[in-house]
Amino acid sequence: MPENQPARSLRLGIAGPVGTGKSSLIALICSELAAELRLGVITNDIYTDEDARFLRSAGVLDPERIRAVETGACPHTAIRDDVTANLLAVEDLERDFSPLDVVLVESGGDNLTATFSPALVDAQIFVLDVAGGGDVARKGGPGIGRADLLVINKTDLAPYVGVDVPQMIADGEAARDGRPVLGLSRTDRVSIDALTAWVQAMLAAHRCGEHVPQDPGPMAPHSHATEEQGHGHSHATEEQGHGHDPHPHTHEAAATRT
Amino acid sequence: MVGTRDQDQGAAELMLMLLADARLPTGAHTQSAGVEPAMRHGVSVEQVPDLIAARLSTVTAVEAGTAVVARYLALTGRLSELGDVDDAWRARTISPALREASALAARGYLRLLRSLWPAAPGLATLEQRRTPCRAVVLGVTAAACGLSAAQLVRLIGNDDAATVAAAVLKIEPVDPVRTTRWVLQSQPLIDRLAVRLASLTSIDDIPALAAPEIEEWAELHATTTRRLFRA
Repeated sequence: MPENQPARSLRLGIAGPVGTGKSSLIALICSELAAELRLGVITNDIYTDEDARFLRSAGVLDPERIRAVETGACPHTAIRDDVTANLLAVEDLERDFSPLDVVLVESGGDNLTATFSPALVDAQIFVLDVAGGGDVARKGGPGIGRADLLVINKTDLAPYVGVDVPQMIADGEAARDGRPVLGLSRTDRVSIDALTAWVQAMLAAHRCGEHVPQDPGPMAPHSHATEEQGHGHSHATEEQGHGHDPHPHTHEAAATRT
Repeated sequence: MVGTRDQDQGAAELMLMLLADARLPTGAHTQSAGVEPAMRHGVSVEQVPDLIAARLSTVTAVEAGTAVVARYLALTGRLSELGDVDDAWRARTISPALREASALAARGYLRLLRSLWPAAPGLATLEQRRTPCRAVVLGVTAAACGLSAAQLVRLIGNDDAATVAAAVLKIEPVDPVRTTRWVLQSQPLIDRLAVRLASLTSIDDIPALAAPEIEEWAELHATTTRRLFRA
């Protein structure tokens, strides 16, 4: 449970639709930061251990530090409704390679409503890409609206798919009430540096106890969401629960499994 | 007026429902109770009810018998013997893949037990074991929750059949009413298992039944790179 224990690694979730570049983003973070930080990776593949194998073969991290979790064809359940399998894998990794600075947990590619439970991760990145359509950021949803960082990936492809990157980033910013949006391309050094700086800053905030895990929630924001935005109250621990929550319906997880 | 007996029974019924709920956060959605390995190696949809029956009379009987004895030891304070029950289950489960899958599932239940019933007799003993099996953890949980031995067997039997049924829906296009009927039709088998196993108190009485094909499929499944379910 991510109560503030500065000694524990930062558990960073990476979510987003299939094919937007979650595995590549993790490979990028590993190749950029493995020299400075002690990293571990958990992948949630739906049918294969393809993502884990891709990352192992990328040579960016000791293969032993990359582990795959089965999701029983329920990627959404595995990162939100029942995080047990992932928590056990994270704890094993933290134990086997203690101490770790950051454990990256990759969600299986899912739809726009799939976000991590704060019971599993301390912070999360939601990944879109320009090739998935310039209008996706405008559609909003919990990950786009309230993940700790929204990455708009593969900006180098924009000319080929007819997407206006500044407009897509502006759409993302409009949906996020000031939370950061990062246009990323592995061919754009400035964007890579911005990504690693964000990870380092999040790790620093986690270590000094400044960062409180925020739940993007499973549903689209309500109209009153902006005036209430999560900074004042936290849903990070189960003990705090929903008792004092003026809008508990925003945060109720659906009982059904995907 | 509702008597104490009825109230006890009501409490145990509610506990049984809680533990039988597929939404219980133990990571159970990663398990197929052997049906994915079986179907991958030639078991057809038509044969799944037979697989359920075969499991109930072999691996699931071992699982339930082990849990019943663990529950008994937890209730009677013979906590140091829980490790022996765990060893007994291991001796009856030849496949390392099945033992590993059970250990992982056990950790999910153990996490829940630790959080919800931290004073459960036997919990500390289990925490000292490196990888207790699921059956022993369930037995200790049942003792903490006030489940009867028969309820514990029914829980394990129903969970096994329901896990198979739910997993088949992810593997083959089958009407979910049909898979639910399989679970319904397995009820007499589950109840018979409860009658047979509920009175067990000794490790020596735990069924020792092997299911070589189930074990072999589990071994093959553990090394595949394409699977939906852990086991």
